[in-house]
Order: sequence, then C-alpha cells, then structure tokens
Amino acid sequence: MNEILSLNKVTKSFQYKTAVNDVSFSIGKGEVVAILGPNGAGKTTTISMILGLLQPSSGEVKLFNRQPNEKQVREKIGTMLQEVSVIPGLKVSEILELIRSYYQQPLAMKDLIDLTGLTEQDLKTRAEKLSGGQKRRLSFALALAGDPEFIIFDEPTVGMDITSRNRFWQTVHYLAEQGKTIIFSTHYLQEADDAADRILLFKDGAIVADGTPAQIKARISKQSVSFIVDPERPLEKLYQHEEIDDIYRKNNRVYVQATNTDRVLELIFQEKIGARDIQIERGKLEEAFEQLTSGTKEAI
Amino acid sequence: MKTFQMQCKVEIIRILRNRYFVFWSLVMPIIFYYIFTNLVNSDVPNKAEWQAHYLMSMTVFSVMGSSMMTLGIRMVQERSQGWSTFIRITPLSDSVYFAAQMIGQSVIHALSITIIFIAGAFINSVSLTPIEWVMSGLWILLGSLPFLAIGTLIGLMKKVETAAGISNVIYMVLAVSGGLWMPLEVMPKMMQTIGKWLPSYNFGNGAWEIVRGELPNWKNILILVAYLAVFMLLSKYIRRKQEVA
Ligand SMILES: Nc1ncnc2c1ncn2[C@@H]1O[C@H](COP(=O)(O)OP(=O)(O)OP(=O)(O)O)[C@@H](O)[C@H]1O
Ligand SMILES: [Mg+2]
Repeated sequence: MNEILSLNKVTKSFQYKTAVNDVSFSIGKGEVVAILGPNGAGKTTTISMILGLLQPSSGEVKLFNRQPNEKQVREKIGTMLQEVSVIPGLKVSEILELIRSYYQQPLAMKDLIDLTGLTEQDLKTRAEKLSGGQKRRLSFALALAGDPEFIIFDEPTVGMDITSRNRFWQTVHYLAEQGKTIIFSTHYLQEADDAADRILLFKDGAIVADGTPAQIKARISKQSVSFIVDPERPLEKLYQHEEIDDIYRKNNRVYVQATNTDRVLELIFQEKIGARDIQIERGKLEEAFEQLTSGTKEAI
Repeated sequence: MKTFQMQCKVEIIRILRNRYFVFWSLVMPIIFYYIFTNLVNSDVPNKAEWQAHYLMSMTVFSVMGSSMMTLGIRMVQERSQGWSTFIRITPLSDSVYFAAQMIGQSVIHALSITIIFIAGAFINSVSLTPIEWVMSGLWILLGSLPFLAIGTLIGLMKKVETAAGISNVIYMVLAVSGGLWMPLEVMPKMMQTIGKWLPSYNFGNGAWEIVRGELPNWKNILILVAYLAVFMLLSKYIRRKQEVA
C-alpha cells in the first residue's frame, strides 16, 4: 500500500475554539493535493499537526506510517510554513549548506539553486536583508534541501511576483513528475485548479468537499449553455421547456441555465433558433468554492 | 558529525558578525581596562598586581556578558522569527543543536579571553607565569557555565526587546555589585556582604586568586556550581510549563 499520509478522526481544540473537527483523509504516493478554505478554516492547524508541530487533541496522524515527529520521517519531508522563518546573521548560501548538512541525502546545491531560481546575488545576501519575495524563495529552497519525498507548503506563493510564482509552479510540476507527494494550501483558486489533481475543501474545521477540481466544479448545480443569436429572434420557444431553469442576456450572449446541459443543446437545435458560437459554461472553481463555503457557521 | 561541525561553525560565524557582541564583549572591556588602569586609580600601592587584577575583572566582565546576552537574545530571536519551528521539522536533534550552541559559545569565549589577555599584555605589559595565564583562562571559560544557564533562562522570554532590556540590567547589576568594575573593598559594608554571594563575584574571585598566585577558593567553586544547578533546574521547569500552555 503506498499511502503516505493518513489522518484518522483528527480534532484540535484550542482553549475557546475547535480549529479542526473530526477530519479524516489519506493521501497516496505521488498525489498533488490542494487544501482550500476561507481564512480560519483550519488549514494551517491541520498542516501543523501533519508536521508534528501540534499534537491533535484526539485522533491520529500518520506520516509514512509513523508518528510525524520521528527522525526517519523528518529525513523525508520538506516544508514551507505560512510564517516565513529566517535565521539572522547568515548568508543564504550558508543557510542552505547548514540545512543540507542535517539530511543524510541532501539535494545537490546546484539543483537546489536551479529549481528555486535563487540568484547569485541572493546567495550572497544575509537572510535578514532579503525582501519578502526573496525570503519566500529561500524558504522554498529550504523545503527542498533534504530532497524530500513528501512536501507540504502553506500558502507558498503569497508575496511572490509573477515570475517567481511561475517558476514555483514549474518546479512543483517537475517535482510531481518525479513522483513526489505534494500538499499545498492556497487562496488562489486558479493555482489549485492548475496544479492539483485533488482538492480538499475546508470549512469551519471540517472537510466539505474532496475530489478532483472537475468533480468539485461539477458539484455546483448551476451550469449553462451560452450562444450568440440575432437579437430580433424570439426565444419564447425555449421557455416552454421545463428542463430549463433560467434564460438571460449578458454581454451580447444568451445564457441558458440548466442542470443537464446536453439536453439544452438538443433543444437549441430542435427549436432551430439559429444559435452561433455555442459554449458550455462548466462553472468555475470560484463559484464552487463560494457555494460550498458560504454560510458562516462557527465551528463549535 | 558533519551536522555538528557545521552547526558549530555557523554559531561561531553568527556571533562574530554580531556588532553588539564585538562592541560589548571585546571593544568595551578593553577600553574600560585602559581607562581604569591608566587614567584613574593610577596611584595604587601595588601597581602590577592591580593591573593583573583588573585585567581579570574585565575578561570576566566580557565573558559573563556574552554568556548571558549573546546566547539569550539569539535564542529569543530564533524563536520569535520562526526559525526554531522550522528546525523542529528537520532531522536535527535537540541535543546536537544545544551542544553546538554551547561549543560555539565556548570557542568564542576562548577567543575573547585570548584577545583581552593580549590587549592587557600590550597596554600594561601585564606579565603572569604561563601557568597563571592558562589557569585563569580556563577558570574563566569553565566559570561561565552558570551564566550560560542564565542565558538559556533569558532565552525563554517572548520578545527580543524584553530579553535585551532585562539581560542588560542583570548584566550591569551583577558586574557592579560583584566587584568587576571596582573592587568590593571600596564599597559599603552591606554591598560587600551581599556581593560575596553573587555569582559574578565568585566568578571573578577565582581569577583574582589565580593571578595572585593562589588557587580559587572552594567556596567560589561551590557557589558557582550551586548557581548552575539552580538556573538549569529553573530553565527546565519553565520550559516544561511553556510547553504545556
Ligand atoms: N494557537 C492557537 N490558539 C487559539 N486559537 C488558534 C490557534 N491557532 C489557530 N487558532 C484558531 O483556529 C482557527 C483555524 O486557524 P488556522 O490558522 O488553521 O486557519 P487557516 O485555515 O490556516 O486560515 P488562513 O487562511 O487565514 O491562514 C482560527 O479560528 C484560529 O483563530
Ligand atoms: Mg493558514
């Protein structure tokens, strides 16, 4: 069985707040999983428990079938925490050498630099003098220093410019191709849609959706077919069909909303309304996200 | 082993790059030494003995300061900047980390001792026997242990500013009332009685005895060991309480 991570009925309660409530899931080797959820949904708390930085109040977290804080596990994991961490007084190259020395089989320095896009200039700079984005790049390099099998990033691209961000996702794709298991949390839905093959959607400390981006988008009931049509053309005929929920015009296009979009296409041709440039609007991850996380029920 | 060496090396580099360390632990003690042995108190009865005595005072002052402040503040910095958290998910073990900090700190102390001793030899041509140089140096190196333990206590504080402020006050109070700036004998009787029980006085006195050709008092050693034990236990206790919270 190539299960890398498993959470079994994990709950974490702080003094006045249950941040994570009875969460169970498991992740297999080579999966790239995005953790989505509004602020305070429990993403960082879950990640901290996976890393062994926090102990669950109840339930069990297993990484490589061991306790997360065992030394053998630490050899195989890498991370970028939400709060960037730096060590003052050292140059970037010195920090990388230091962290590499902690691992039995570290990634070669050259690979590390190539993968993360650290520049010659960055390497010579002291950590405390780096800009926010450069610090992120450093912590990305630190995450990869031990050539980990399992990598977990908490909001990795916050504060990165477009170039660094593209570079980051390129590297993530490359790592995924190498068979690494990757978890990342993000507020950019596009990133989750592009990079992940599975999304865990958190809300109020619980998982409200778990599936591929396509599956999650499909959970929004509202799908539609849009097309261009001669404005003079009456659309009454379409209204007569019960399968159609709503029809409206927006930006010169007509949108026909229905649960079954195949049936709408059939009707369009059947009624010969002369539609051009027909498109099926699949629904965006944003919409799914909003629908699934709306209603601000506080976790108890 | 590679990890350990690397960690020690890095700790040493970091201390040497710290401007406060260089100023407070090297520049200040040497300037004080020059001032107090040449510009004031120049009419003491036994000049050579006073110059050797005060060289020990300033070296003790330097090492005591870097034990408490450099170590303590660095620990707070690492925690408040999230570095300690990051380290916890790497395979580095706590004991290697702690040992490297202590070794790194001791190497730095050996360096400070050497530099200040050489400065003393130049400024006032202090001349001790080789045994006395080595013995007093070793005493200062080992005697710093209780102060390193105070450093780990200061390292448990939450904010760098508080840690720096509090350690500075403790540092100055210990230095003055332990007779490192002026000999205890010139102070009021009350201060003398209290001073003799302070770790700083006992730290200094061992070195003063050595340069007078004697051996450190048993009492000095016992008091320092007792302080070491108390501070270590306290540090352990507070750490445990913090972990529970
Ligand atoms: N140490 C703590 N003590 C008390 N409450 C906490 C603690 N850490 C987190 N919480 C609470 O737990 C909840 C979940 O926090 P968490 O940091 O996991 O959210 P998140 O999903 O990572 O949010 P964000 O997107 O803002 O990073 C929040 O309501 C937070 O206030
Ligand atoms: Mg978070």
